[in-house]
Amino acid sequence: MLDDQARWVAKAKTGDTLAFRRLVEMNTSALFRTCVRVTGDKAIAEDAMQEAFFNAFRHLREFDERAQFSTWLHRIGVNAALEQMRRRNRVEEELPAAENEAAVFPVTTESTPGPDRHARSAEIRRDIETQLSRMTVLERSAFLLRHNEGQSLEDISAQLSLNISACKQAIFRAVRKLRLALEPPG
Amino acid sequence: MNPITDDDLILFRYRDGLERARLAEIEHELSISPALRERYAAIERMLAEVDGQPEPLADADLGARLWRQLEPRLAQAGVVRTRMSWNSRWHALLESLRPQRLAWAGAFALMLAVGAGFYAGRQSAPAVDATSAADATALRVLDAYVAAHLRATEGVLVTASNSGSAALVDGNRELAASLVESNRLYALAATRAGNARLADFLHQLEPVLMSLANQADGGAVQSSEGLRDYLHATDLLFQVRATEARLDRNGDRRT
Repeated sequence: MLDDQARWVAKAKTGDTLAFRRLVEMNTSALFRTCVRVTGDKAIAEDAMQEAFFNAFRHLREFDERAQFSTWLHRIGVNAALEQMRRRNRVEEELPAAENEAAVFPVTTESTPGPDRHARSAEIRRDIETQLSRMTVLERSAFLLRHNEGQSLEDISAQLSLNISACKQAIFRAVRKLRLALEPPG
Repeated sequence: MNPITDDDLILFRYRDGLERARLAEIEHELSISPALRERYAAIERMLAEVDGQPEPLADADLGARLWRQLEPRLAQAGVVRTRMSWNSRWHALLESLRPQRLAWAGAFALMLAVGAGFYAGRQSAPAVDATSAADATALRVLDAYVAAHLRATEGVLVTASNSGSAALVDGNRELAASLVESNRLYALAATRAGNARLADFLHQLEPVLMSLANQADGGAVQSSEGLRDYLHATDLLFQVRATEARLDRNGDRRT
């Protein structure tokens, strides 16, 4: 698959749009997931993908193939998604100042999931979704890129134009917000 | 040792953003402190809930939709090559022969083959034997193609009459649409080959294929009930299978 991508990249670099179309098809699902994670909105994600693929094709000659094409495209996708959110004024200009590092989870958190907890699982999923949508773009992006896509803090910081410390803080805040979705009622 | 905060535990969970010495301290503390283990378990439980969230799934046609918008932009921006290599043209040709178009292309090729067969037969005098050999070849090709077409049609009818699934109906609708065109061409080829019976039968199939190709969204259950009734009343499925078997037998006899 990856060798296959390299072959299509080489063809696409010569301006072959059909080869590039193959690359679009091969990377659509993964890029869509990333863009939805950053934007939290499928329609905006689609606009971002449009820009990402357009920019990728325009700058394909600059791609030096030291990284995988999918990794390179992923970065372009994250930038495009953030740009879409900026255009819609949904990206905060600055991150809030670091909060004190009080315990995120009280020690009294139930230690094993009981039947009530299982019964609440659908509700919990909805609550998590709500909390994710309430996060700032940077918090959600930093957290989901770290947690779901397994990217390093260093890479995430570079993509989000944050320093490492700010990137960590964004993740900590995201986790605190998610905690609200899981607090036992009452 | 600095107290271990929940933020430290989050970084520990990802094994990222902490010095190696700090990681070792946390690991050691976790092995001896039940309270810390409980806090860490709470973090892991919460993150496991996030893992349980459904993945955002792209529509099946998202890639094609993106490309439709992207292609004119690339052309407009002048970033595409204006002349394609032969290799690319070949890929373009393959791309154009997507499955739904293959049947149409096959039917067209068949028309040419049947026409050429009869023409060759008529041109090669005195050649009564040659004429019949050419005719037989053309008819064998026609039989084989139409039998394959009927097998695909049978699949579409069976799926449409048995399935209440919207996804299956969608796929079936596309397949039926691709069969309409080839059905017309096979009917024409059968007429030209003098096989009026086959041509009539294929004409009878056309409105069924067209109604399946135009099946409305969300009407899967009602449509399949209606189709079941129609198939039952007309024995159409049986006729499709019987014609298919007859064509297969004809092909065997002519070889």
